[in-house]
Amino acid sequence: MSPPDAAVVVATYAVIAAFYARLGLHALVWWEAVRRSPPALPRGIGAFSRALAGAALDVVFLRRLLMVNPALWLGEWVFHVSLFVVLLRHLRYVLDPIPAWVAWAQTPGWIAGFLLPAALLYILVLRVLTRLEKFSARANLLVLLDVLVLAVSGLLLSTRFRTDLTAVKLFAFGIVSFTPSPPPAGALFALHLGLALALLLYVPSHVFTAPLVMLDARGRELALRRVIHDA
Amino acid sequence: MTRKRSFGAELSPQQLIEIDACTQCGECLKHCPVQEVTGNPAISPPEKIRLFREFLRTTDGLKARLLGPTTVDPRLLEDFAKAVYECTTCGACGQNCPTGVFTQRLWPALRKELVARGIGPLGIQSGMPGAIARSGNPYDKPAAERFSPWFPRQVTVAERAEIGYYAGCSGAYEAQPMVRGDVLVLGATGVPFTMLPPEEEVCCGFPLFITGQHEKLAGLVKRLVDGYAARGVKTLVCSCPCCVNIMSRDWPSIYGAPLPFMIRHITQFVVDAFNQGKLRITQELRESVIYHDPCYLSRGVGVIEEPRAVLRSIPGLTLLEFERHGLDSRCCGSGGAARKVFHENAIAMGRLTIDEAVAKKADRLVLSCPACYAKVNEAMRGYEKQIVITDIMELLASLL
Repeated sequence: MSPPDAAVVVATYAVIAAFYARLGLHALVWWEAVRRSPPALPRGIGAFSRALAGAALDVVFLRRLLMVNPALWLGEWVFHVSLFVVLLRHLRYVLDPIPAWVAWAQTPGWIAGFLLPAALLYILVLRVLTRLEKFSARANLLVLLDVLVLAVSGLLLSTRFRTDLTAVKLFAFGIVSFTPSPPPAGALFALHLGLALALLLYVPSHVFTAPLVMLDARGRELALRRVIHDA
Repeated sequence: MTRKRSFGAELSPQQLIEIDACTQCGECLKHCPVQEVTGNPAISPPEKIRLFREFLRTTDGLKARLLGPTTVDPRLLEDFAKAVYECTTCGACGQNCPTGVFTQRLWPALRKELVARGIGPLGIQSGMPGAIARSGNPYDKPAAERFSPWFPRQVTVAERAEIGYYAGCSGAYEAQPMVRGDVLVLGATGVPFTMLPPEEEVCCGFPLFITGQHEKLAGLVKRLVDGYAARGVKTLVCSCPCCVNIMSRDWPSIYGAPLPFMIRHITQFVVDAFNQGKLRITQELRESVIYHDPCYLSRGVGVIEEPRAVLRSIPGLTLLEFERHGLDSRCCGSGGAARKVFHENAIAMGRLTIDEAVAKKADRLVLSCPACYAKVNEAMRGYEKQIVITDIMELLASLL
């Protein structure tokens, strides 16, 4: 492997390690808080199951966002679903043999590849150009731009400037199986990989924690009628 | 290497996860009453969370753990404290949060951390623990004047009874027509009720809780719970939303055991009295009235229908609604103990409530919170728009 290729492999492992370190650090802070003040147990299996089912719907359909901003919800929901399906499609690069459900996700994933940048552009227009929103964190906009360019480069790689899929599989599978192979050649792939690694570094932590908060919020909503009411 | 105190020391695990889970989307800003009157995003919910994440990193981040904690710019910390205490803790941000962060409890937790660091509370709020220790109330008024100026002579208080009534400091000292109305209505039901003597009916702890000064909380709560239990109370009735909120949500954990009685807001008690035929309205009121939901009553404990049921039972009355009502109610400006420190904000918010009530052509603005009652009345002084402001029990008592 040439020194530049080796550098890419090392950088990829470094970013993945940083991602896990960041996740572990967050978990450590939560664990310290749990030791300090153990959380109360959920009120009964029934109430917890109802909250869990409701929260699952909240996560899948972004219900709370739909309630407060339907216009933004449309873009965000299409973005999240298409990103999920695109990521499913990418699993073919890191799994061997490829499971049937990943194989099934290839066509939906290809379609989602077009919807993803469209949804991101819609969100950007809504958030920045129309100035409908009073507040948009700069970090959020950077991540949004990262995903947008990532999506467009991915789309170009799968339609206009096709890359060597065998080389992609060898590289990606090599990373997860600790048998590194050189990355595929080409500037567009380098850009795509670079942006994916940047996203992994700066992925907002709400991706991991928001579902937990949605679960708590659902439970709280269901329990509101019981705070000082009989039922 | 000694580890500096963590910025997350006063936060529960859930609250730390909430800090992480904020997507910084800014949806909450559209519902924040402080934003509405100041227009300053620096004191907005997402900005507070963003800054607090920075502070957490200085004590708990990777660099802090490997190389030791770093120091936060004191001016930044002061600005943060101002933002945290300028909030009315109305919880509208959390109600409209796409993730569901429970801000009505997160902001007080951040205040508790600031108090532990000696940066909070602000201004007059810092005198509250001393005032409560001296006189039993945050206003530092004599206990002897707690009931005597307003208590109706014709109403009898039992020594022991299953129903207990807690007037609360804001009602007793700042919104006396409200607590007088409470007692007149309770008396009219014919149901025996008991009260603690004025020197025993101390602060419920809410002002201390909401400003992050928890040191004396447990003592106050124990004194009150044991006092009512000794009088045989099975249901404690109160009209102040803040008192009702802390009593039902936090007293059990502060007391360290389930309470030996139920907590009920007075409108719940009145609706039950109507249903049981213990209370009857004898006069009609041909007016359009608009009801303002107190944040700690509607979003806080879900009492939304009962005040409306009470008002709808008044013959001739037409009930109007604010654009934002029920769970989405807009703060009148008096919440979170901010009204005494950020007076201008509170007045501006109170005037927004008055503006809308007048624009809706209401004859009367009905409130059910002593803090709202005191501040909205204050906001109307010298204001071009005027409306009759009445507490819900004050109104009901006048029609019995």
